[in-house]
Amino acid sequence: MKRIAIAFLMLALVLSFTFAQSATESSAGKEIELKFVTWWTGADTKGPYVEQIVNQFNAEHAGKIHVTLEGTNDADGIFTQIMTQLGAGNPPDIFSVKPQDEFYGYYDSNLLMDFAEDLKGDWGKQFAEGIVANTTRNGQTKSLPYEMAYVPIWYNMEILNAVGITEVPKTMDEFWAMCEKTKAAGYYPTAQMTGGTNAWFSMLWYTSICGALGGAGAFDNIKNDWATNPLYVEAAEILCKMVREYTTEDVIGATAAVANSHFKGGETAAYLNGPWWIANLDDARQATTEMAFFPQINYKDVLIGSVQSNLAAANQKDPAKRAAVIEFLTYFTTAENAQLVSNAGSVLAVKYEPLENSSKLAKDLQARINEASGFIPYWENCIGTSDVVAEFGQALGAMIQGAITPAQFVAQIASVM
Amino acid sequence: MTRNLAEKKFNRNWKGILLFLLPAMVLYGLFFIYPIITVIFTSLTDWANFRKMNFVGFKNYVNLFKNSTFLTAIRNNFIWALVLAFVQVPIALSMALVLARKPRGWKLFRTVYFLPTVISGSALAMMWKAIYNPTNGVLNAILGIFGANNGVNWLGDLNTALVAVIVQQVFYFGYFMVIIFASRLGIDDTMYEAAMIDGANIWQQEIHVTLPMLKPVLITAITLAMAYGFRHFESTYLLTGGGPNHVTETMGTFLYTKLSSAKWAEGNSIGTTIILLGGIMISVIRSVLSREK
Amino acid sequence: MIAKTKLGPVDIIAKIFKWFFLILFLLFMILPLIWILISSFKTNQEFNLKSPFSLPEVWQFSNYANALSVSNLPRMFLHSIIVAIVTTALNLVVASMSAFALSREKFRGNKLILTFLLSGVLIPIIALMVPIMKINNFLHLYDTLGALILTYTAINLPTSIFLVHGFMSTIPKELEESATIDGCSFLQRFTRIIFPLTKPGLMTAGTLVFIYCWNEFTYAMILTISEKARTIQLGIKYFQTEFSIDYTGMLAAIVITMIPTIVVYTFMHDKIISGMTAGAVKG
Repeated sequence: MKRIAIAFLMLALVLSFTFAQSATESSAGKEIELKFVTWWTGADTKGPYVEQIVNQFNAEHAGKIHVTLEGTNDADGIFTQIMTQLGAGNPPDIFSVKPQDEFYGYYDSNLLMDFAEDLKGDWGKQFAEGIVANTTRNGQTKSLPYEMAYVPIWYNMEILNAVGITEVPKTMDEFWAMCEKTKAAGYYPTAQMTGGTNAWFSMLWYTSICGALGGAGAFDNIKNDWATNPLYVEAAEILCKMVREYTTEDVIGATAAVANSHFKGGETAAYLNGPWWIANLDDARQATTEMAFFPQINYKDVLIGSVQSNLAAANQKDPAKRAAVIEFLTYFTTAENAQLVSNAGSVLAVKYEPLENSSKLAKDLQARINEASGFIPYWENCIGTSDVVAEFGQALGAMIQGAITPAQFVAQIASVM
Repeated sequence: MTRNLAEKKFNRNWKGILLFLLPAMVLYGLFFIYPIITVIFTSLTDWANFRKMNFVGFKNYVNLFKNSTFLTAIRNNFIWALVLAFVQVPIALSMALVLARKPRGWKLFRTVYFLPTVISGSALAMMWKAIYNPTNGVLNAILGIFGANNGVNWLGDLNTALVAVIVQQVFYFGYFMVIIFASRLGIDDTMYEAAMIDGANIWQQEIHVTLPMLKPVLITAITLAMAYGFRHFESTYLLTGGGPNHVTETMGTFLYTKLSSAKWAEGNSIGTTIILLGGIMISVIRSVLSREK
Repeated sequence: MIAKTKLGPVDIIAKIFKWFFLILFLLFMILPLIWILISSFKTNQEFNLKSPFSLPEVWQFSNYANALSVSNLPRMFLHSIIVAIVTTALNLVVASMSAFALSREKFRGNKLILTFLLSGVLIPIIALMVPIMKINNFLHLYDTLGALILTYTAINLPTSIFLVHGFMSTIPKELEESATIDGCSFLQRFTRIIFPLTKPGLMTAGTLVFIYCWNEFTYAMILTISEKARTIQLGIKYFQTEFSIDYTGMLAAIVITMIPTIVVYTFMHDKIISGMTAGAVKG
């Protein structure tokens, strides 16, 4: 018995050390090893393109720099891991990250590489005008904007036509009329959800409403005046009506998958999501979908435009390693490679030529981006840390069940800030 | 065998004892002591992200106990602990006693009842999330057969969410049932035969023969059930994320929310509270139970 | 056999009640699993939009082929097996050593140490996420199976010590005393007498540890990142991307991860449960 026990112990130690070794071996050689941790792998639509870029880079820099792609397409899981690693003081060499407040909190530490100086050169010109300001705080640019989210309203024209509407709603009255008619005909007027970590669709609707009420700058001062600005309560009232009366029965606690299915299946009249989702619609559905601005209230043609994900890197003391990281990031953000990734339907912060053969909807979206009067970032990117973001869904569920009023909805979220 | 006082205080085998306790102590040191000390220590600061830590005393705890979400969470944890200990364990006990009488097919029942224990909690939770779905979930579909389908969103309705989440766990009693069953089989048949000769029916046999002998294992089961109730996190997180509007929130899910926002100090104060509260409650219950029944 | 008492009306009602609940719970345990199995053969549109009772129009075996190839489940399966076996062995050795010292030896602080070790059962392990990751980084075990093995061993120590100690306490002291007289050393008492006798208690504890390792997800997610250390529960998360969830693919993966445990359990359940039976837990 004892022998077996000892054998197992040895086995365990041997295994741990073998596995540990292969992790530390890499930094010993002359070739600089970089680990790129991201969820843009596997089944993620950007996965194949990112892999291609990394392979090309490795081929061109063989013997000098080698980048290993790591991660799964489980965005939440990878993001949690990266944040935990940051918390433990040990971020990956290069990683993708969501522009959440708690990440920006790490700008104050010296864990992240600051790109401010490097961007002053040619590299900075690779990015669209002024876009890097989005990820700059107090003069420090410790992450780069990569994927952008532009979110218009997607109307299923087939449904609208079926109830006698030929043009997309341009005012709130027309919008409510559209909702009434489509509901009466047995369709779901809008796609909503209170579940997931951020009540995604409902949060997007809310952002659109605020943009129509307060213009592109509606969230500029949100951290200070959330609790006091009546605009936010007014927007909540409109959202409440939309979610309470004009959406599916399972909205409370619903996650994105169901709402997506309803739209794909032709049951939802008005939907909204970012460019990456276009690829999920088949040609038939794309042909009957129209991208439009949210109806005018006080402002018109305001489009949601927000940073969807960032690129960041661990701070490096070794100048050679630091240069290698910059080299890779510069390569990753060239116009050519950005165009490659845009095949996945993503819109990027880098300057690039839109694809010739992009889909009808992608072209539609680009047209809206060009016409927009202003861009409003997501509510979730402006309000604070993820516990505050999570409160939106919680309070929304209560508000539509009548347990709290829109004013209390705003107050409840304020209490977590 | 008498031992003189000197021997009692100084055990000759102290080298062996030390050696044998060493591995456990090392592992505890690394994975429990160090983490818990940092957790308790940092809970007395305002640490978040990687900002500088400033000592703030009990401020986090004061804020916690003023926070309505946290108070709801504590209430829910008590409900979980009490329901698991005094509903799930008794159900497990009853089924164990029924099966111990070896009715037809008892082996099959025992196997099937234990089966969910070997399936991951997250898989079970994902399953039930789909079952509870108001439009295409199995539960409402079954109710529809009896004409009772009101399209209730079990996990989304403020009134049903907590019950739905608890029910999902309560009826998976297989683990406790098997432990109790094992003890039950250890009771000699002769005791039951004697009782039967005395004219006791099955009901009386269980009360007078079985229960007293099962007392230790029942206390174990209740302790484990309560510990799980105070620590509860996984299935609630997967089913409702603590919602809607925090009605299903537990200290565990609340803690996770805080840690996910990199608010380490706040999260750690919750963690410390779980440990303290749980410890107190369990000691109290154990001492009460050890006297009665 | 003793003659059974005659069945009166109360007994018949009791019988009906008994069988009603037996079967109700049986269905409760089994039906969801069957439903998962059937649903895993549907397409996502069918799953999301059609009635749950409906059968798939075309049985999508591709879901399974996909699950197996896309997420490299076989390799993760191997990792899970390694982690589960090694952890269980390590955990049982450490637990029985500690339980032995605590249950068979009198010394100052014995009760204190025992209470201390057992109180670990109360710790919400999720609270220790960040420090445990720091420890694993410090030991250079990040992203290795070793990180999982060590972490899981430690996490399961409280429960294992609890169970094994309880069991060991019931072994009569006379056995050892006669062995000591025969000249057995401390170590030999452990290896020759107590450890073999504790087998049933070890089976109980071991089963729990094994199941824990197999099903554990949170720490696997936090402590590993690359394919070389991934375990099987993480495979289920493959079907969730940033913007969508492939439910039917996920269900197929869930079924695949359940099958080994169910198979092992079906064959071993007699042994497992008789082990737990013989090692009647005395608290």
